Amino acid sequence: MTETTVPMNTKGISIHELGVTFTPEGSEPVEALRPTSMEIEPGEFIALVGPSGCGKSTLLNVLAGFIKPSVGRALVGGDPITKPNIDHGMVFQDYALFPWLNVIDNVAFGLERQGMALAERHDRAREFLEMVGLKDFADKRVNELSGGMKQRVAIARVFATDPSIILMDEPFGALDALTRRFLQHQLLDIWQRNRKTVVFVTHSVQEAIYLASRVIVMTARPGRVKLDQTVDLAHPRDFASAEFREYEKIIYDQLDEELAKTFKLEGGQGMFHD
Amino acid sequence: MKPPAKTAASILPYLWAAIFIVVVWQLVVVFTKAHVALLPPPLLAAETFAHLVATGELFVHVGASLGRVVSAWVLSALVAIPLGLAMGRWRRFEHLVDPVIELFRPISPLAWIPLAILWFGIGETGKIFIIFIATFFPILLNTVSGVKGVDPVLIRAGQVLGCETDQALFRKVILPAAMPTIVVGLRISFGTGWAAIIAAELVAAQVGLGYLIADGMEILRSDLVLVGMVAIGILGVAIDAVFRIVNDRYSWGG
Repeated sequence: MTETTVPMNTKGISIHELGVTFTPEGSEPVEALRPTSMEIEPGEFIALVGPSGCGKSTLLNVLAGFIKPSVGRALVGGDPITKPNIDHGMVFQDYALFPWLNVIDNVAFGLERQGMALAERHDRAREFLEMVGLKDFADKRVNELSGGMKQRVAIARVFATDPSIILMDEPFGALDALTRRFLQHQLLDIWQRNRKTVVFVTHSVQEAIYLASRVIVMTARPGRVKLDQTVDLAHPRDFASAEFREYEKIIYDQLDEELAKTFKLEGGQGMFHD
Repeated sequence: MKPPAKTAASILPYLWAAIFIVVVWQLVVVFTKAHVALLPPPLLAAETFAHLVATGELFVHVGASLGRVVSAWVLSALVAIPLGLAMGRWRRFEHLVDPVIELFRPISPLAWIPLAILWFGIGETGKIFIIFIATFFPILLNTVSGVKGVDPVLIRAGQVLGCETDQALFRKVILPAAMPTIVVGLRISFGTGWAAIIAAELVAAQVGLGYLIADGMEILRSDLVLVGMVAIGILGVAIDAVFRIVNDRYSWGG
């Protein structure tokens, strides 16, 4: 299928020599992210993969404005990121829905903060709930939903506010494999209709290739960019196709080196074998 | 709403408990041959209960006690909730205030009764003061732990969804997230207040359930004492049941 045009309010991300070092109280500083640079075009879907503790979540938290970089800077559409902002949406691994609100008011939460009137924001929330197939669940309590449904609500919630970038921190990490497949498909669908710049952190290489226009592999701690691979396949992508397998091989080759390092760092002996 | 069958099922255990207590009570009367002024048989106590209900006297006492507890409890909530919210939110403020709270907390509200009488006499103010102390700490501590216990990811979600000021974040995320814990504190504190009012009234009062009990003792009418005690028990259970309904509404269904 053809790629839709990128809307005006979608912005790119520039990362210049950005590094993060944590200094926990009373212990040695830990370098979480080695100074890294990266250019993300408006409307791109970036997947960040790497071993645990490679700093990919740290990078995402810097982009969200939750933590300040120790060196370097990150810009969204040319403006420096200073603090969390509704224009930089986020989807969390554990959903982060507000349990005291029903489904529709969760989706409308950001819209209310943007000053939209009740009827209008409920209309818009319903529209986005429909996109994730949950229109009939608008009046349900959040705790009545399954994990997959909760994450679909969270996805509707972030797209509804029309942010210029969307950050996703292992959003499907807590879901079972089948639910995960379904949600990948739905995310792709909603993204194609609302072309946002997405930065998506995942542990799954397959998920990264299925979703992203670019896959960035990070090294073991301290993290930096190891491989920046454009995925030149039309959606919907076929897991079983030769091209898909080829991308998997390229990425796994790079990733395995880093996994071996992590393995050794954690006290493992000998070589890492898949 | 619960269906009637379910309500009946939840009352049933209390009914069994009541029957058990009455049977033991009757057995004690029969075997110890206790003097009627010391331990009247259940039937006599029931007659006195019915008499006090018929004359309306019991309701006067209940009303007086409830009125004191409710007004002190409301007053307490008005002070403890804002204070608890502030303590939960600002660590530095908590470090400042917490030692003071911890020093006062172990002192039973009953220990304040002598001072309350000296300071406020035997009027309403003294009793409200005692109940205020009795209800204050459960509300305060639950509010603090409610605020501190808010899932950090919800705070982050609030921040990226447009709660940019501390005030907005507080109103839209922290307060509603802490609400169930605060309601638990309100419920517990009503219980402690209800227990303390009786003690406050035992010492100095002209009306109230505590007065009914104290007066019964002085005129050697243990049936009056028991009626007062039974009324306290029944009301305690009833009030807690009301709170549980409120609680359910705020607990988001698990």
